[in-house]
Amino acid sequence: MTPRLRRRNRIVAVAGLVAVWLLLWGSFTPLTLAGGIVLALVVLAVFPLPPVTFAGRLRPWPIAVFTALFLRDLLLASAQIAWLAIRPGPPPRSAIIAVPLRVGSDLNLTLTAEAVSLIPGSLIVEADRRTGTLYVHVLGVTGPAGVERARAGVLDLEARIVRAIGSAAELAALDPEGAPR
Amino acid sequence: MLVLLAVHALAAVLAPSLVRALGRRALYLLALAPAAALGWALTTATATETHPWVPQLGLEVALHMGALGRLMVVLVGGVGALVLAYSARYFAPDDAGLGRFAALFVAFAGAMLGLVVADDLLLLYVFWELTTVLSYLLIGHDAARRAGRRAALQALLVTTFGGLAMLVGFIVLGEHAGSYRWSVIAGDLPSGPLLTVAAVLILLGALSKSALVPFQFWLPAAMAAPTPVSAYLHAAAMVKAGVFLVALLTPAFAVSAVWQAVAVTAGLATLLYGGWRALREHDLKLLLAYGTVSQLGLLVAVLGTGTRTAALAGAAMVLAHALFKSALFLVVGVVDHVTGTRDLRELSGLGRRMPALAAVGVLAAASMAGLPPLAGFVGKEAVFAAFATGAPLDTAVLAGLVAGSALTVAYSARFVWGAFGGAKPSEALPPGPALLAPAALLAAAGLAAGLAAPVVDGLLAPYAAGLPGPGYHLALWHGLSVPLGLSAVAVTAGAAVFAATRRRSRDAAERPPAGTAAYDRLMHGVDRLAVELTGATQRGSLPFYLGVILLVMVVLAGVALLAGAPWPVALRPWDTPLQAVVGAVVAVAAIGAARAHRRLTAMILVGVAGYAVAVLFILHGAPDLALTQALVETATIVMFVLVLRRLPATFSERPLRGSRLVRVAIGVAVGAVAAAMAYVAAAGRQARPVSLGFPDLAVSYGGGDNVVNVILVDIRAWDTMGEISVLVVAATGVASLIFRRSADLRQRAPAPPPGPGTGWLRTATGAAQQSIVLQVVTRLIFHVIVLFSLYLLFSGHDAPGGGFAGGLVAALALAVRYLAGGRDELNAAAPVDAGKVLGTGLFVSVGTGLAALPFGGQILQSAIVDLHLPVLGHVHLVTSTFFDIGVYLIVVGLVLDILRSLGAEMDRQMSEPEEAA
Repeated sequence: MTPRLRRRNRIVAVAGLVAVWLLLWGSFTPLTLAGGIVLALVVLAVFPLPPVTFAGRLRPWPIAVFTALFLRDLLLASAQIAWLAIRPGPPPRSAIIAVPLRVGSDLNLTLTAEAVSLIPGSLIVEADRRTGTLYVHVLGVTGPAGVERARAGVLDLEARIVRAIGSAAELAALDPEGAPR
Repeated sequence: MLVLLAVHALAAVLAPSLVRALGRRALYLLALAPAAALGWALTTATATETHPWVPQLGLEVALHMGALGRLMVVLVGGVGALVLAYSARYFAPDDAGLGRFAALFVAFAGAMLGLVVADDLLLLYVFWELTTVLSYLLIGHDAARRAGRRAALQALLVTTFGGLAMLVGFIVLGEHAGSYRWSVIAGDLPSGPLLTVAAVLILLGALSKSALVPFQFWLPAAMAAPTPVSAYLHAAAMVKAGVFLVALLTPAFAVSAVWQAVAVTAGLATLLYGGWRALREHDLKLLLAYGTVSQLGLLVAVLGTGTRTAALAGAAMVLAHALFKSALFLVVGVVDHVTGTRDLRELSGLGRRMPALAAVGVLAAASMAGLPPLAGFVGKEAVFAAFATGAPLDTAVLAGLVAGSALTVAYSARFVWGAFGGAKPSEALPPGPALLAPAALLAAAGLAAGLAAPVVDGLLAPYAAGLPGPGYHLALWHGLSVPLGLSAVAVTAGAAVFAATRRRSRDAAERPPAGTAAYDRLMHGVDRLAVELTGATQRGSLPFYLGVILLVMVVLAGVALLAGAPWPVALRPWDTPLQAVVGAVVAVAAIGAARAHRRLTAMILVGVAGYAVAVLFILHGAPDLALTQALVETATIVMFVLVLRRLPATFSERPLRGSRLVRVAIGVAVGAVAAAMAYVAAAGRQARPVSLGFPDLAVSYGGGDNVVNVILVDIRAWDTMGEISVLVVAATGVASLIFRRSADLRQRAPAPPPGPGTGWLRTATGAAQQSIVLQVVTRLIFHVIVLFSLYLLFSGHDAPGGGFAGGLVAALALAVRYLAGGRDELNAAAPVDAGKVLGTGLFVSVGTGLAALPFGGQILQSAIVDLHLPVLGHVHLVTSTFFDIGVYLIVVGLVLDILRSLGAEMDRQMSEPEEAA
């Protein structure tokens, strides 16, 4: 890693922590700013961690799309789970499905896993770092068609995340023609 | 007098370093401390000093030295200085325990000095117990010897037992008389049954300390001590404490017939028993020890009588005995030193080879036998004169005394014969003058005191002045009187006894002192009782313990509630209906937890109940409490999970139906009582709550808007101080329970982190059991959590938060690191020993509290600093924030400790079998 990149990383980390600090205090004064910078430096120095290598870039419009659709999924899934919980009948069937992601980076794996877990009814059981595969427990799945639908849903989510923050190479990986798996 | 005590204390503290620096010669320097006491007593007739000590208890350091005290100070200081000088030659130059010995010895001299000049009875008791403890340490000089340890413990137990009885006696006496100052109450002691009780209890203490029948057995055993210790403690000083106490109290207590009867009976019995046993011993030191027992009996019998002549005689005998007995012990020490044995069957020809040593020994032994013109003779004459009144009772006592004196003559002869007699030439080299001089000085002092009897009489007479009886004077020559005749009888009889027992004694079997068996039986009984009691109550069954604890609570609180608690009449079900909903959640979760079969389920349900309680706090308008509760609940769940890894997934077989019903009943009862207590307590308030003023005080005084936090770190900071101390102790306890070997404990200090792994955390390996998702999330939010914990810490004074909550958050950040990356990651995240974090936290908290002192404040008083800095603007700083930082560190240290113990160490223990395979 070049010194320049390392410096950029450090500045991003400090800036992020200072922003959190200012939000916590809810005020922007010279005192809170100075205190935030000092404490951010202290925290980073006392608890050193490996630098995060973030190769992607933030794209405002896809981020907005992701957010909107994520909220929609959240609401829909909540309603479905609520119905599953109170409807009469036997307990719902569920499935554990393997979803090989198209972009196997740790960060993408994690973000997709977190997003899937946040949506009610689906939960990450296992994430295989080596093959970039998520194992998802899905509630209320019946038949192979349902399994395929759930798998497609996870892949859709992944695509939206990659479009929002992924690198150019990762975007390319989404296109099955460009990068056959 | 306080100065002298301080000098002793200082000398004792400096002794080890002095001995390290100067070797044996340091003892000469240290001998100056008791010598100073001697010099002071020789030049001062009486003195009184009072210094405040604990005014709340009415305790003061009241010191008083009268004629008796002066005699004792002379002996304690003089003999102490000489024995120290003797020790400088007695011990080997490279004796590793010399520094310890010197410190203890000087401290003992100081304690003894305090004992004899203490005027307040409770102060006297304090010094009394100090001498007990120090003598324990001195007898056990050589801790590697089993006999020494046993003897030390025996002496400690026996004299402490007596000391405790004496303390009770003192308290009875003090409360009875209305004062603990002896100089105040000695004059008019109100009689009554309480006085008798006090007399018996105090005598118990004196008898045990002075090794009188039936406590005589500890003194011969204590001869396991080095000879200088024996010479001082068991001849001149400590055993004299009991005699001194009898002498001190008799003038006032003589009105109590019980006092006299007990003292004289026990004294005479001891006199005869000790003399008889001394004739059967082969070890010179044991011979002297039994001789001491015998003489102590004589002293107590005479001093406990309470006539003027007897008191004077007793005082003279105290002086004489201290001089000749310590001289004799030192002589035995020399004999032991030069020949390597103290067995009189092996010693022979020492008299011819070392005439100087023999002369000293013979001089001292002659004083012991009561031959003219020595101090022992003067004392014995006075003793006989005191009882030669013709009264039947006195005559009976006199007969016993003469018999005892005859035995004394006999064992004195036996000592001289055994140590110096015989014709076989000895190979041993004579001792140097420095080793012999202290003994010679003491023996010579005995001669001088005898020759200068009128001077001694003048010094001791004030002690006996107030007592009834004819005006007897100490002198060498009283004319052809009854006592002189009795002395002649005693010497003749003694010579005959010696001649008769000389042959037979060689075959006498060696036996432990009488009473040892009883002591052993008693100790065995106590041990047995302890084992039985422990076995009966500590069965190792957690349900049993819990049941007992809970039942006690139900009974105590339940009875109190039923017996007259003010039950409130007005009942308000809730502030908002939401509280009822949350309450129902808590109840359902609790019942579910009790019925759960899987441990994990039970734990989660308990957690649900905990979080619901946090919600209740919020509904009550206590966000601070709710925050803390939620954090504690989270931390608890983490720890539960760590523990659950080692336990079976489900609870063990449910107990039998009957036992289950009992448990349910106990649970329901506890719940009902606790609820009733909360209900009654909340409504039972009668006074205005003290906390009403807290909100205003918090701002004006504590400088913070968050009342809860200001209460914790300022208004009630002492409570917090106690709590964090408990936390530190608990953390240490957890660590010591889990780290089973001390070698493991050292592993708490972390190992260096291994090489790079997944790149997200410092040591994470990407192994199958580690979750990459958790690692990435941890990497992204770890610093933010730590920053948030700091925010809670610093904002806590004005907003919800504080050191405790902040510490918990920081600790949870570490817990996340541990869960994501295992024990190596935890060590990389916090490469410090948890104990050091705990210690630093406690140090910061205590330090902040103490920092107020130099500024003239009280401990834990806080100061508010308002600064106007350029650019930055207004800074509001309260010193109690530093106290909170200490709390923060302690909480972090506690959780770190638990993570290391229950997490990392258990990981290691679980993986150990695999590693071994």
